[in-house]
Amino acid sequence: MKKIKIYITAFSAMLLLGACNKELNLNPSDQIEADKAILTATDVQSTLIGAYNRMSLTDLYGGRVFLEPDLMATQTYIDWSGTFQGLTQMVSQQIPVDNTFVNAIWLDAYRVINQTNNVLANLDKVGAADKNSTEGQAKFLRGLVYFELVRLFGKSWNDGDPTANLGVPIVLTPTSVINSSSYPSRSTVAQVYTQAINDLTDAETKLGKGISFYANSYAASAILARVYMQQGQYAKAITEATKVISSNAYSLVPVYTDEFPFPNQAAVHVDNTSEDIFAIQLTTQLGTGVTNELNTFYASSEFGGRGDITIKESFLNQFNSADTRLDIYNEDSDGNLRCDKFDNLYGNIHVIRLAELYLIRAEANLRLSTTTGARPVDDINVLRKRAGAPNLTVGTTTIANVLKERILELAFEGGFFFHDAKRLKQNVGPSAFDANNVVFPIPLNETNANKNLVQNAGY
Amino acid sequence: MKKNLLTILLLFSCISFVLAQNRVITGKVTDQKDGSPLPGVSVTVKGIAGTGTQTGANGTYSLSVPASAKVLVFKFLGFKETEASINGQVINAELVQDSKQLTEVVVVGYGTQKRQSITGSIASVSSKDIQETPVTTLEQAIQGKAAGVNIQANNGKLGQGIKISIRGTASITAGTQPLIVVDGVVLNNSDISSTSAATNPLADINFNDVADVQFLKDASASAIYGARASNGVMLITTKKGKAGTAKIDFTAQFGKSNPSRHREFLNSAQWLAMEEQAGVGAAKQDFASDLYPTLDDALADYKSYVEGKFTTYAAGKTSDWGTTNTDWEKQAFQSAPQSQYDLNVSGGNDKTTYFIGGQYLDQKGILVGNHFKRMSGRINLTSKVFTDLEVGMNMNFSHSLNERVDNDNSFGTPLQVVALSPITPIIDPRSGLLSGSLPGAASSYPLYYNPLLNVDNSYYHTNNYRTLGNIYANWDIVKHLSFRSEFGVDQTNSNEDSYSGRLTFRNTSQPNGFGENTNTTIIHYTVNNYFTYKNTFGTDHTLDATLGTSYEYSRNNGNDVKGQQFPSDAYKQIASAAVISGGTSTQTEYSFVSYFARANYAYQSKYLLSVSGRTDASSRFGANNRYGFFPAGSVGWVLSQEEFLKNSNTLSNLKLKASYGLTGNAEIPEYAAFGLFSGDAGYNGVPGQRFYQIANPNLKWEKTTQFDAGLEIGFFNNRLNASFDYYRKNTRDGLLEVNVPQTLGVATQTQNLAKLYNQGFELAISSDNFVGKFKWSTSFNVAYNKNVVTNINGLIIGSNDLNRVIEGQPIGVFYGREYAGVDPANGDALYYLNTKDASGNINRTKTNDYNAAQNVVLGNPTPKYTGGITNTFSYSGFDLSVTFQGAFGNKIYNGGGQYMSSNASNGFDNQTIDQLSYWKNPGDITNVPEPRLFYANGTNPSSRYLSGGSYVRCKTVSLGYNIPKDILSKIKIDRARLFVNAYNLFLITKYKGWDPEVNADFEAADQNYNLGVDFYSAPQPRTITFGVNIGL
Repeated sequence: MKKIKIYITAFSAMLLLGACNKELNLNPSDQIEADKAILTATDVQSTLIGAYNRMSLTDLYGGRVFLEPDLMATQTYIDWSGTFQGLTQMVSQQIPVDNTFVNAIWLDAYRVINQTNNVLANLDKVGAADKNSTEGQAKFLRGLVYFELVRLFGKSWNDGDPTANLGVPIVLTPTSVINSSSYPSRSTVAQVYTQAINDLTDAETKLGKGISFYANSYAASAILARVYMQQGQYAKAITEATKVISSNAYSLVPVYTDEFPFPNQAAVHVDNTSEDIFAIQLTTQLGTGVTNELNTFYASSEFGGRGDITIKESFLNQFNSADTRLDIYNEDSDGNLRCDKFDNLYGNIHVIRLAELYLIRAEANLRLSTTTGARPVDDINVLRKRAGAPNLTVGTTTIANVLKERILELAFEGGFFFHDAKRLKQNVGPSAFDANNVVFPIPLNETNANKNLVQNAGY
Repeated sequence: MKKNLLTILLLFSCISFVLAQNRVITGKVTDQKDGSPLPGVSVTVKGIAGTGTQTGANGTYSLSVPASAKVLVFKFLGFKETEASINGQVINAELVQDSKQLTEVVVVGYGTQKRQSITGSIASVSSKDIQETPVTTLEQAIQGKAAGVNIQANNGKLGQGIKISIRGTASITAGTQPLIVVDGVVLNNSDISSTSAATNPLADINFNDVADVQFLKDASASAIYGARASNGVMLITTKKGKAGTAKIDFTAQFGKSNPSRHREFLNSAQWLAMEEQAGVGAAKQDFASDLYPTLDDALADYKSYVEGKFTTYAAGKTSDWGTTNTDWEKQAFQSAPQSQYDLNVSGGNDKTTYFIGGQYLDQKGILVGNHFKRMSGRINLTSKVFTDLEVGMNMNFSHSLNERVDNDNSFGTPLQVVALSPITPIIDPRSGLLSGSLPGAASSYPLYYNPLLNVDNSYYHTNNYRTLGNIYANWDIVKHLSFRSEFGVDQTNSNEDSYSGRLTFRNTSQPNGFGENTNTTIIHYTVNNYFTYKNTFGTDHTLDATLGTSYEYSRNNGNDVKGQQFPSDAYKQIASAAVISGGTSTQTEYSFVSYFARANYAYQSKYLLSVSGRTDASSRFGANNRYGFFPAGSVGWVLSQEEFLKNSNTLSNLKLKASYGLTGNAEIPEYAAFGLFSGDAGYNGVPGQRFYQIANPNLKWEKTTQFDAGLEIGFFNNRLNASFDYYRKNTRDGLLEVNVPQTLGVATQTQNLAKLYNQGFELAISSDNFVGKFKWSTSFNVAYNKNVVTNINGLIIGSNDLNRVIEGQPIGVFYGREYAGVDPANGDALYYLNTKDASGNINRTKTNDYNAAQNVVLGNPTPKYTGGITNTFSYSGFDLSVTFQGAFGNKIYNGGGQYMSSNASNGFDNQTIDQLSYWKNPGDITNVPEPRLFYANGTNPSSRYLSGGSYVRCKTVSLGYNIPKDILSKIKIDRARLFVNAYNLFLITKYKGWDPEVNADFEAADQNYNLGVDFYSAPQPRTITFGVNIGL
């Protein structure tokens, strides 16, 4: 009897347990396993969309990739009253190696690169009809990001020898495991430029010319024009700019302020304007980690910003009083002068728009004393006419005037104050264009994790 | 409850019938102290095995004894064994309570054990130590009362994060909190707050239902919980009914809380002068950088800029700004009444006992807008359905409502109001409304969002509905062998509902209202099945063995929806939102399958040996490492049982013990071993996926081996007791979010990399100083812990200003630039270079270049010593209990220092009073640099913002008066006690901030190693309540 009782108990206890072992295999519900993620053409497309999503991260084209270089170069144009130490360090051009904003740009950029590498490594799964478009978009995004990285973390192209100066590591394969190849060294500035140009050139060839919010061939041409301009390859810049301008695929919006749409002053998503060649789409649906950072720092809190940046009155002195581009600079209800380009919390981040290509072509033609595509005076006057500013004449269309026109037209949009200063060997704020402290440091986390990385001079 | 357990044990050793009985003895057993009947007392005949019974509910017994019977033996837990000669038919006995308490039965994992035979290290807290403490959660009531258990609240917000550290911190990035087991059911202890500040899952539990809490500290005690035990185990046992007439117990208390400390800020005149000076300082710098043609231009420009700001912050007043002088700090706090009602009924007979209780708690927090309510009920029931089968249930259900305030790092948290300028009026005279109410003017007035607007314009309600309980059956299969089966559930349904109205736009960036609604459901099952064998062989050999299995499964389902653009603030639910801006649902699961065994052996109650082992398998581990085995062993020697000490009049107890064992830590995020893609990467309405996580199929639990050696000693019939433990915990395979090259497109990977150790000692002393009519007893505990990270591959890990994980240093050590004061010549903030030359000499040159200064170790955020002392007095109906609690040897980093103590070099924030000693003229010797508006002069993170965090706090004072029984008996009341409770009555510390018991909530929830950061964190409340306890 005793024994039977024990057997019964033991048996039932085992039964209770036996059912449990299979319960150990619990798979994630919110995410999926990496080896099941990219199996079909649709999966590759989703990964490409994911790359656009990563592009829109706060620290990249959520706006900071444009905001931060400008903070380093606009001390005479703005008053900074922000309390984010990491940004104040940029304003004061004293950036410690552990600046979190610098690290975030680096990390997010490589997130985009890894996404695009995942797309490019799986092109064999994409049908013939979509293959070129998929490849072209991935390369466009990758090329654009490498171009941003090399300008921020490497010395300027025209500062010493770009084939010797260090740029950033070039990673062209998707991440799966950590192994010896996970610790790349920095490529040279020239190598990174070459990578960016190759990617963008491939993109230009493979992409179609249809207009949507995705990158197309014109977007690649436009960015290439900017890249060549940064290198001083003026003829190539003219060629690329002309491809876009002469296509007539884009047109200036008639009123300058309409390039920054804010319908009824309501924070809503607005599609690209006729002038936008490539813009990052911000919507309420992008989820956490994505905010319009240009809005955050330029717009007053009435429009959802922190308003840490106000514009100095003196900045406006450069405008002709008839210039309607002045209309975008207004005092807020507290009397602070604001740049209202970013008042729409869900306004798109303009990556490149048609006006810049007129400016590129005009400057490049002036530098080469050519009139390829159009006379510089005509290109400039396209913009001045739209703005209601008096036309320049052939005589007054000097390089200096074109550069001033760039400021009037593009101020605070694309980090131009910083990148142009470097290109033109002008001071970046109080520092020389080739000063060590106007190059971002390689983030401390990264030099700690990857001993192959050499830190920039001065850090 | 302890009595019942012994009863159960005794039952099957006694229920056997022997023939040839010829006499029936009856009698009643009572407590010598107050004459109350004692049910469940074992009554046996000396020298005759197998004859015995136990007393019934009214303390009476009836026993047939053989003719040869001479002496009856009465045994009862917690009382001295008593013998009585059989000299008649009726034999009554009075039992005397045993002060030794060594026969006390202690709940251990999957069973109970006599305290005397325990070789592990267990700290106990009983209900009398904690009941009626006027706090929200159990841990708060335990603070300072258990040796080696360091409890620290993040801040003074109700029902939010509290950290329990048992013997230091054994993990860098995996969980650091003990496993909590309530009546055998593993408690779901995960934070379900949808903000970055944790809530406290224990806040759903009424701690007045708790009978006792055991902290299993060493490997011997805890290894039976295997892979979940590295951080120690907290076993909570709830109150059970006792056989006897029904008892009704009612307690009500009412009181009020205030902030335990304030912090002083500049007044208007001081602030105006300092900001003017900051403009001058900045102008000088600008001029030196050639930004102005002349110094006068710069000064004039800054003066007009600064005064423009004064006008703005003074609500448009263009002069005489100083006539308004607002003390914003006081505005963050509210008068905080609280009330609490507890009612319970308990009783039963010799077959069935019950405990039925309920509580209603209503506490306001000291921060404006903070409010907590809890309604909870409990039914604990046991019944012997057959002589060999007991079934029962313990069931707790509760509803809590936490009206929360914003996180410490939000402009909306009440204490960030201190940043506002003293020249800003509370009521804007232009509108007659709270400053910051007008959308137009409010965009830059006041300086920041006014958090007081939150009080009437937003809410954040967390409603938790929780059911925690188990059902069990205990079957005495044969003599000495029993089988227990338990099925437990911990179910949480949580709803977080929040709405932020139009006037909060500056905090939310949403001009037309913002709402969010989050539901979380967590279902957590525990199934335990185990055999227990207890036997004594001969007179010398005692064996107690346990063998069983456990299965645990948890599923967490959550959904969240966010909306914006509401027609008006009258509409607060998302049904009215024009834009649904976010929606998500998530699911995670985990499971554990475990097998465990333990044997305790004692020879003559002198030589003790215990071994245990557990095998754990979990869904959390990588495919290559599914199973882990966790053994432990311990030995004990009770010297006081040896002949040479047995008859000592002085020494009444002496036990030496040692243990060694292996435990694990499996508190890693679900699915951390997988390589993952996430589908949350859409773009402009098109779906997308993104690379999310890099795989680590080798991922496994952390391993901690722990050695413990201790002694327990008692003098004078155990009126004076002491225990001492030394321990060393070595953790290896420590789970770490390892920084990997970000060029991989990911920043970290969870790896088993870290090694660290915790080493320390614990001393506990308890003493009955006076035992006569005036009683005084003291209990004291102190613990020292040293924590050192020994290997993390040379990495330096950290995510906030100064907390880092570095080899050779304690977890979260403060590491950064060392502040060197101010250059007397020019007012620059200086830092020590601290560079090392080739021969290792450190360069102590001062520099004004923050970047040139090297990072060095600046201090430890974790206290080296923690402890507490409780003195209890009673005299003629009065009783007084006073507990002091303290922590020593840690540093605190004021993360808000860069704003509030920034010598006005980081904007217009109001400054702490100590900033007044700022540098003014060449030659000034001071620690506060020259104010330079937005020049960040000395405001970067450095040791400037570190200060000592040692403190001693008068934690609880409880004064009671028991109304004499003769008065009560006239109104048919059994007991009545009037009491006053004070919580956090006063604080002794050199810390200048609000409270040295601090860790900013958003930091604490982010990483375990973010420690000791003060960021506008609210102080602990000082609470005083009056109450009455009535027993019928």
